[in-house]
Amino acid sequence: MNLLRRARKNKQLVSGSILATVIVLLGVVGPWLLGDYTDQDLLLGHLPPMTSGYLLGSDALGRDIAARVVVGIRISLIVAISVTVIAVVVGTAIGLVAGYIKGAVDSMISLVVDFIWGFPLILVAVLAAASIGSGLLPVILAVGLVNTVAIARVVRGEVLGLSEKEFVVAARAGGYSTMRILTRHLLPNIMPVVLVLSSYYVAVGIIAEASLSFVGLGAQPPLPSLGQMVSEGRNYMRLNHWESTVPGIVIFVMVLSVSLIGDGLRDLLDPRLRTAVERASSK
Amino acid sequence: MSNSWIEDQYGADVAQLAADYKSKKFGRRAFLGKLTAVGFSVGAAATILAACGSNSSDSGTADTTASGDTVATDSAPKVGGMLREGYPRDVSKHDPITTNWYDPAFSAIYETIVTDGLDGDTVPQFAAAYEVSADGLTYTFDIPEGRVSHSGGVMGANQVAELLQIIKDTSFIGGVSTVPMEGYSVEGNKVILKMKNAWLGALNPHKTGYWALANVDTWKAAGGSDPKSTYGTDTADGTGPFTHEEWVPGSHTLVKRWDAYPGSNTPYVTNTGAAYLDAVRWSVITEGGQRATMLENGELDTLLGPSYADLERLKSNSDLTVIQHPEWSGYQLSMNRDYPEFFGDKLTRQGLSHALNRQGMVDAILFGNGDVTYGPFPKTDRQYEPKVESYNQFDVALAKSNLAEAGWVAGSDGVLERDGVRFEFEYVVEDETTQKLVSEAVAQQFKEVGVIAKLRVVDRAVAFENQSGVGREAAPMALFFWLWPVPLDILVIFGSSETIPVPNFSHAVEPSIDAAITQWRLAGTPEAGIAASSNFQLEWADTLPYLPLMNQYATFVHHNYVKNWAPFVWNLYPLYNDVWLDQ
Repeated sequence: MNLLRRARKNKQLVSGSILATVIVLLGVVGPWLLGDYTDQDLLLGHLPPMTSGYLLGSDALGRDIAARVVVGIRISLIVAISVTVIAVVVGTAIGLVAGYIKGAVDSMISLVVDFIWGFPLILVAVLAAASIGSGLLPVILAVGLVNTVAIARVVRGEVLGLSEKEFVVAARAGGYSTMRILTRHLLPNIMPVVLVLSSYYVAVGIIAEASLSFVGLGAQPPLPSLGQMVSEGRNYMRLNHWESTVPGIVIFVMVLSVSLIGDGLRDLLDPRLRTAVERASSK
Repeated sequence: MSNSWIEDQYGADVAQLAADYKSKKFGRRAFLGKLTAVGFSVGAAATILAACGSNSSDSGTADTTASGDTVATDSAPKVGGMLREGYPRDVSKHDPITTNWYDPAFSAIYETIVTDGLDGDTVPQFAAAYEVSADGLTYTFDIPEGRVSHSGGVMGANQVAELLQIIKDTSFIGGVSTVPMEGYSVEGNKVILKMKNAWLGALNPHKTGYWALANVDTWKAAGGSDPKSTYGTDTADGTGPFTHEEWVPGSHTLVKRWDAYPGSNTPYVTNTGAAYLDAVRWSVITEGGQRATMLENGELDTLLGPSYADLERLKSNSDLTVIQHPEWSGYQLSMNRDYPEFFGDKLTRQGLSHALNRQGMVDAILFGNGDVTYGPFPKTDRQYEPKVESYNQFDVALAKSNLAEAGWVAGSDGVLERDGVRFEFEYVVEDETTQKLVSEAVAQQFKEVGVIAKLRVVDRAVAFENQSGVGREAAPMALFFWLWPVPLDILVIFGSSETIPVPNFSHAVEPSIDAAITQWRLAGTPEAGIAASSNFQLEWADTLPYLPLMNQYATFVHHNYVKNWAPFVWNLYPLYNDVWLDQ
């Protein structure tokens, strides 16, 4: 069974991918289709969805929630993808080095990783905002940093196990350089784990960005982010709950799509799990 | 406010009473007596009285709402229980001298030497009586014999005079707002305030929390003006009916009954002994919706400032009473003159002002629970000058023509430029729901005339730091909210060239405003005061040291079992000695 055929048969992967495609399209194309998200009409605040000219209703200043949501999706995607790229690249590199070289290098890296891991995300984000100012950059750096150490810990553990396997011992005995062993022998073997992890950390990035925006760290007004929209809308929950629930539902769908993809990828790429599943299905 | 407004809010009988009072069929005290006799609390009665007297315009600010704040006058007060209030701001330290804001707890812990009467006149509070000399140069306050503070420290004339002198000389607000005052001295049990010249405004600051009477010995022992002082945080020593117990920023303030309280000298406080309540606790709940829900769920007994989105629902709840009246407050935008390329010329400032749809913002953000301001004062102030309304009206075409006349031309992206400078600046705003919405609305309206205001949302402390820098260290533009029972006294310090950079956040030097301030400081008669006040407002509306935006209505909500909790139009917060719980 080749990979593509198995992917097509994976319902989680297919449904997650369809949802993700729709979301990405909304984030990429939506802002051009739905007009200026800052346009306000002070006479038309708190409109419910499906009101003429306001597909998803309007907020307190009469701004189109649909136009703001698609920009919020774009912001969320930019942050989530950025932090995941940072975390995967840097975290994998750190984990590979620490797990393979071991000794003092591993101890030092593990010390730093554990130190950072001990800080709650919100505190790291506040410290980042205090040092470089508010906005999306401190959010990306804070979430990226925390996710980096998370991935580094997992990769290190995987590499510690793999580095004693015969193929690595053989490569070492064959005189291959450390760099070659890391990139040609170990990296391909941890990639399935990294891919599954990265899908999980995209979801974490979406939630983290929304959470930090909810508490006022993150995108600065008038730039909308989904968490900020949920926060602003909660003042009007009994008047027009859609101002909160629409961005809330979008966050849910985004996280769901990424989680489905992650689960699908895990089923597809994890040989141990796949073997177990195939064995179970052949019975 | 009009008689029709009174009829709408309180019914035909009360409107008839008001009409009779206005036609002088009976006096103020008789009017108040008739209102309380039919079941109105002092707070509601004072609001009706203010509606009768503060503005004669029938078409004026009839958009205030209030519910009938009735009390069961036939019930005997019950002793005990803790009043739980929801408060919208973080708590300020309980030190009248060093705080830059005062909270409702000040009304429980402290007394002032005089306070506001129900119709905005001056009545004694700590003082047994006071008098003003015929030439207006001497104020004499009778200090009652044998009074002590919560700690047992003596609160005689010497202690009171010493404290008042320290406030005048050193406090955040004292120096500039008391220029016509010479100083305080003591004769027997009397505190004497000597004036440099007769001044109509002499008593006003004395009614505020910034002049609250703390025990001066305790204050000094705790550290005085030293930033490390523990006064107001660990301890506070006043003469009010409750003692300072807990002060936890971000969480709550707790005060407990002072059993030795001898009763108030304020005529409308009916309880002449210790308070009925065991304690009062103010919880910091910054989300308006959450405050309302907690009140409805019975987790709070009263609240200040519900979200206006919740107001109609709260009004329709038969278990609750909503009290609402005009507030002595305002939202204003500073324009830092140390950025002369943006705000140095009057025509540009006027252009920006004409770009703002103030009524739209009042309707959208305050749900109509406020008034637009074209000058510095709220409309309901007794000295409000209606001629300011000829300035700063919303007119986008005029805004654009003013800006064009000032030399601004649109660049390729539509943003205005002048002398190679793009009209784009940073605009700092505190992270608070209403202020953020106002700022987003303002920024968008500026954008429509080609001006880019880049919002930076920061917490309250950082916002103040950004507003109060020297020169270009201060933000080019910032929104701020002021709250003060006498607008002229506070706006003088925002507009005077003597107070740059703090609190003249705009760093504006306007000789015509300085001249109006001097005129006010020399005003010894009501006529002179009105003339000075009028000049001040007109010069402000014309030269625009700040962009006036709007003011909101003060709104209070309480469960009906809370009795005599009666904030009224002249006070920022209720007094607590009469309050009891009918549970």
